[in-house]
Amino acid sequence: MPRSTSSINQRILAEAGNPGAAGADAPAAPRRQLLGARRGTVLLAAGVGVLLLAVVTSLAVGAHQLSPAEVAASLWTEITGTGSTYADDVVASRVPRTVLGLVAGAALAVAGVMMQGLTRNPLADPGILGVNAGAAAAMVTGMAFFGLGATSANVWVALPGAVLTVLVVYALASGRRGATPVRLVLAGTVISAVLMSYIQAVALTRPDVFTMYRFWAVGSLSGRTMEQAYEVLPFFLVGLVAALAAGRSLNALALGEEAAASLGLHPQAAKIMGALAAALLCASATAAVGPIGFVGLAVPHIVRSFTGPDHRWLLLISAVVGPALLLLADVAGRLVAQPAELLTGVVTALLGAPLLILAVRRMRAVA
Amino acid sequence: MSALTAVRGVRTVRIGRNLSFRYRRRSVLVSALLAAGVLLVGAFTLTAGELGLSWRELFAVSQPEGSASFVLGVLRGPRFLTAVGAGMALGVAGSLFQTVTRNPLGSPEVVGLTSGAAAGAAAVTLWPGYLPVPAAAILGGGLAVGLVWLSTGRGFSRPGKLIVAGIGISAVATALTSLAMTTVGERQAQTLAFYLNGSLASRSWSHVATITAALVLVLPAAALLQRRLNLVSLGDEVAESLGVRVDRTRTVAVLLAVVLAASAVSVCGPVAFVALVAPQIALRLLGVSSPGVVAPALVGALVLTLSDFAVQQIDFGAALPVGIFTAALGSLYLGYLLFIQARKGVL
Repeated sequence: MPRSTSSINQRILAEAGNPGAAGADAPAAPRRQLLGARRGTVLLAAGVGVLLLAVVTSLAVGAHQLSPAEVAASLWTEITGTGSTYADDVVASRVPRTVLGLVAGAALAVAGVMMQGLTRNPLADPGILGVNAGAAAAMVTGMAFFGLGATSANVWVALPGAVLTVLVVYALASGRRGATPVRLVLAGTVISAVLMSYIQAVALTRPDVFTMYRFWAVGSLSGRTMEQAYEVLPFFLVGLVAALAAGRSLNALALGEEAAASLGLHPQAAKIMGALAAALLCASATAAVGPIGFVGLAVPHIVRSFTGPDHRWLLLISAVVGPALLLLADVAGRLVAQPAELLTGVVTALLGAPLLILAVRRMRAVA
Repeated sequence: MSALTAVRGVRTVRIGRNLSFRYRRRSVLVSALLAAGVLLVGAFTLTAGELGLSWRELFAVSQPEGSASFVLGVLRGPRFLTAVGAGMALGVAGSLFQTVTRNPLGSPEVVGLTSGAAAGAAAVTLWPGYLPVPAAAILGGGLAVGLVWLSTGRGFSRPGKLIVAGIGISAVATALTSLAMTTVGERQAQTLAFYLNGSLASRSWSHVATITAALVLVLPAAALLQRRLNLVSLGDEVAESLGVRVDRTRTVAVLLAVVLAASAVSVCGPVAFVALVAPQIALRLLGVSSPGVVAPALVGALVLTLSDFAVQQIDFGAALPVGIFTAALGSLYLGYLLFIQARKGVL
């Protein structure tokens, strides 16, 4: 662990104004002061405010609209266990997807920060280390050969699949001199492609698997149960705590491996721990709600434009902005296609892609 | 690849005073072997299995009769020729994309063409009757490439931006495709999934005609463009100083590649990875830094015909679309490539 954070912070500051260096993750980052404690707290409070708003919206909006007061009343009866009105039932039906949105949003956003920090690649995303493909391949194997349903008990299947895939990707990417960002991305792409063709082959030869897989493969908050949230919760919490604790190591790694080592960090160990935490988070999200893209990619960029490059604040604020974004995307999906719904994964892709392209247009230092 | 080996094998043939062309012995040899390989695969494709022709019938193809004429004219002949044509188109498209983006990962998949085509096909499944599926696929692919082109700001001149914009547009296209997948009925979804993996099953002579026309139109242009592309691959400044209009060359090359890849998609669906792998194999076989047109075309044809032979003859429990096989092969090859480069410490 680095002894003096202030010296690291100064170096991050120096690099942030220097495109092409490690700190240039933020597209065309303007020079800015590193986030102070007071301003950070204000930002965090604002994030929490937005999140609360998103939660209430998620509970109130849909085919049947409720007022915030009705939502509050119904929640109270829900907690005291005496609810029976129609509004109570509506809110109760929206609780699981809201809870899952909270878990998955936080998991994806924090995993995104971790991966972008570890690979020093501003485009890293849970999909990129092969997590989605690994989880999906394990699920499809379970469905095809072990009689698993699409929604039941899948965290125990998806999680080992995802973690194993991350380890393989990492091993493949580590040549003589350790894993570089480019090699990680390439290895992730390769392994994903192998697994995807396996998935397609199984799905196309087994109609029953195909039916389950095509709905799971989009990623959606609807049609889920609280059991799924309970199942992934322990994994999510372990991953979250490990990730939030990794802020300082990520700051040190941002200076380059040698600098990090000279600050007393074991770069290899920190990377492996970080990658495992990220894998745990993504796998819980994927197991709970299916593969949802762009939240992990977009949220770190959005948050970074407010907080600057300090990973400690970045992780913390992403953990509240991520779920807010995912819940709002879910609500948008309910509103756009009434009386039907757009699946959440479709909405995040439709929202995320323009954002990505905007980032590309502003990006100067990408070779 | 060192410049020395590239220079050593070069011969120049002069015809009269004004016409001359240069060739390398190794390139000619490799191309001849590849062509022979395609022919051999063709012979096996037509003869293998219970329904295959006998070898005697194969050598008497000028007057096929009875079941032989059915196998040759309907069952396997058009399928094989479509595979040859589509493989050639994909190989050259990949070569053009990779030279332009100066990136071994550059391929129709990367600029969003493949997923755009898939989304086009999916859209037709949602609103049937407006367009035939291949036309919709081409339209979708063209639209996606156009959007990527606009998104990068200055055309295709920045490889990094190109790739990222491609990822973005692909994601939208994929989302729309999965939307269709979850909306339509089960049988339709399965048909769509089959098409989206790229299949060569039950091709007709009209498919052969389509892909042949595209090749005849585009390949000569691609060959003419090759010298300028080689200069562009040295870097923009060098190329400009040698009198090449870099941006225009790049745009023309991408347009040619899009036409080739889209024609391939229109005859066999988005077959994965052939465009990615073929130029890379060609590079290694030729031992040069820029694979040109002929070798990638032949490697593409060989890869696709071999894969199609495999899915026809190996029993996977059900008929698999050829694209699954090429995807598996292609991704394994990519992994091998990565492993080698990582060991050398190049990447």
